[in-house]
Amino acid sequence: MTKPGRPLFGYRARFTLTCYALLAVQMTLLVVFVYVPVFWAFSKSFFQFEVGSESHFVGFANYTELLFRDPTTLPSLLHMLFLTAFAVCVRLTIPLVVAKLIHSLSREKSRYLFRILFLVPVVVPGVAVQLIWFGMIYNDRGMANELLRAVGLEHWVRGWLSDPSTALVAVAFVGFPWVGGFEVLIYYAGLSSIPESVTEAALLEGCTGIQKFFRIDIPMVMSQLKLILILTIIGGVQSFESLFILTKGGPGFKTMVPGLWMYFNAFSFQRMGYACAIGVCLFFIIFGLTVLNMRYFRSTTELEGQG
Amino acid sequence: MTGERRRRARDLALMLCIGGFGALTLIPFAFALNNSFRANYEMDHAFFGFPENFKGLARATVAAMSGSDTVFRVETDAGDLIEASGWGAVGRYWHAATKGYRVSWGTLRPYMINTFFVCGATTLGVVALGSISAYILSRYRFYGSRIIFYFIIGTMMFPAALTLVPSFMVVRSLGLLNTYGAMVLPYIAGGQVFATFVFKGFFDGLPEELFESARIDGAGHFRIYIDIVLPLSKPVLSVVAIMTILGTWNNFLWPFIVNTDGRYHVIASGLYVLATTNFAQNYSSLFAAYMTASIPLLLLFTYATKPFVQGVTSGAFKA
Repeated sequence: MTKPGRPLFGYRARFTLTCYALLAVQMTLLVVFVYVPVFWAFSKSFFQFEVGSESHFVGFANYTELLFRDPTTLPSLLHMLFLTAFAVCVRLTIPLVVAKLIHSLSREKSRYLFRILFLVPVVVPGVAVQLIWFGMIYNDRGMANELLRAVGLEHWVRGWLSDPSTALVAVAFVGFPWVGGFEVLIYYAGLSSIPESVTEAALLEGCTGIQKFFRIDIPMVMSQLKLILILTIIGGVQSFESLFILTKGGPGFKTMVPGLWMYFNAFSFQRMGYACAIGVCLFFIIFGLTVLNMRYFRSTTELEGQG
Repeated sequence: MTGERRRRARDLALMLCIGGFGALTLIPFAFALNNSFRANYEMDHAFFGFPENFKGLARATVAAMSGSDTVFRVETDAGDLIEASGWGAVGRYWHAATKGYRVSWGTLRPYMINTFFVCGATTLGVVALGSISAYILSRYRFYGSRIIFYFIIGTMMFPAALTLVPSFMVVRSLGLLNTYGAMVLPYIAGGQVFATFVFKGFFDGLPEELFESARIDGAGHFRIYIDIVLPLSKPVLSVVAIMTILGTWNNFLWPFIVNTDGRYHVIASGLYVLATTNFAQNYSSLFAAYMTASIPLLLLFTYATKPFVQGVTSGAFKA
């Protein structure tokens, strides 16, 4: 027997529908702007697009071209490897040393001030930072060359980014002295979370200074080091904004990286399908590295809570 | 006493080391700031040096304060020399020194307005949608809620490199190229994921009694969200907001790609456009543009240091 005014659905169903309704906008956005692109990345990589004509299915042709026939593939991978390895080396060491120096200060106030000091450059838009560096090392009359002239090394003067033999090193040099405020904060958080008892025990055993840094501090901030490592590797594999601003992959292909090659294929050569194939390969590289990281340095979840 | 002195000496040595790193880090920015006040011929004449107009400003100030009526010849915006004395000369010098800022502001202003709009809309969308999803997913179990959660979190698996080109194709086929929507909608779609994650972590820690008593008092979803969830989550909210602002503000490539006719450039893409056109012939305007573009975040940084720091650190986990 139905009472008058009884709702069409039961309470449970109405409740579920309300929840769905409240999540509808988010889900729509996610599907349209994330899942559709992901699906297209895979599906369109099997097609060839040409401007003004129909796209047609080419099977694995984009992949075989990328892996076996494209002369850009190998050099760009090597450049990516070099730049990533360099970034890993400097980001795992220099900010850690700076964080340790700051952490060793005795007054809390000065520790705080110095941490904030290194974060100030974050307010300058990343593009502006790259462009300032571009101006400093590109021109004949940039800062790098003027400094060389000032110390009497005139024969070293060159367009650092336009000289094929120095372009890649010059790109890696950008950001000197590589003290990222973010990394300093992360390492500092790690150093501050070392328990007092550990420090005291080390002191009793006579472990101080450099020895303490290598024997106690570094093992204790290992999780932070791993976090920066994986973030740097992922960033190194896929990001190419700074190269786009600094060199556009040039001179020749001396600073080309896969991400930049993907950009040029998509937006300069209109080879969207081929660009998608490069994107898919980058995805698998990053995916593989992340899985390796989770397998061998277990627990990214334990890292996520920190910072 | 000796212990205290040793501690001081050690602190001083440490500060010198850190200060050295800090100075090296800040050199490019100091260089840009200094040269934003210097004309091209000054840089050609002496690469490293203090702005001539500031030297003049100092001389004119001294002259004006001592009451002498020395006549100064100051450059106008048009490039002619004009004679002035007393406080008038000080004003003229200040005017001449800041020429780069006035020139660049004309070009930068539309970019700035676009950036404010895009950042504002994105942040509002991310905070609103992220907190609503997190509230629903954290507080209720319903058919499919776990699947929806994994559906949201799963997107973190896909790196930007995979979706850059197809996202452009999606935006193009929706006819969104050269609109604000081309930036705001994908930003919200991507940004809400991490926001949901952060908000959910926070909401999970709130006591259930709070929500139960509100429900018993007859509050609906909307009331609970407005009167309980939002006020309680202010600290997380500001972190998520700043994280979103930072990400949006610094994103250069996407606005550059989707603004094919250049009408809706934001600061990041606009600066690149400026630096690659004739505008870059004039160093002081270019450097002034970089400096002006840094002011909004600098204000945010000084005004909200703590959430800013948290935003920087948590924002990086998105990668």
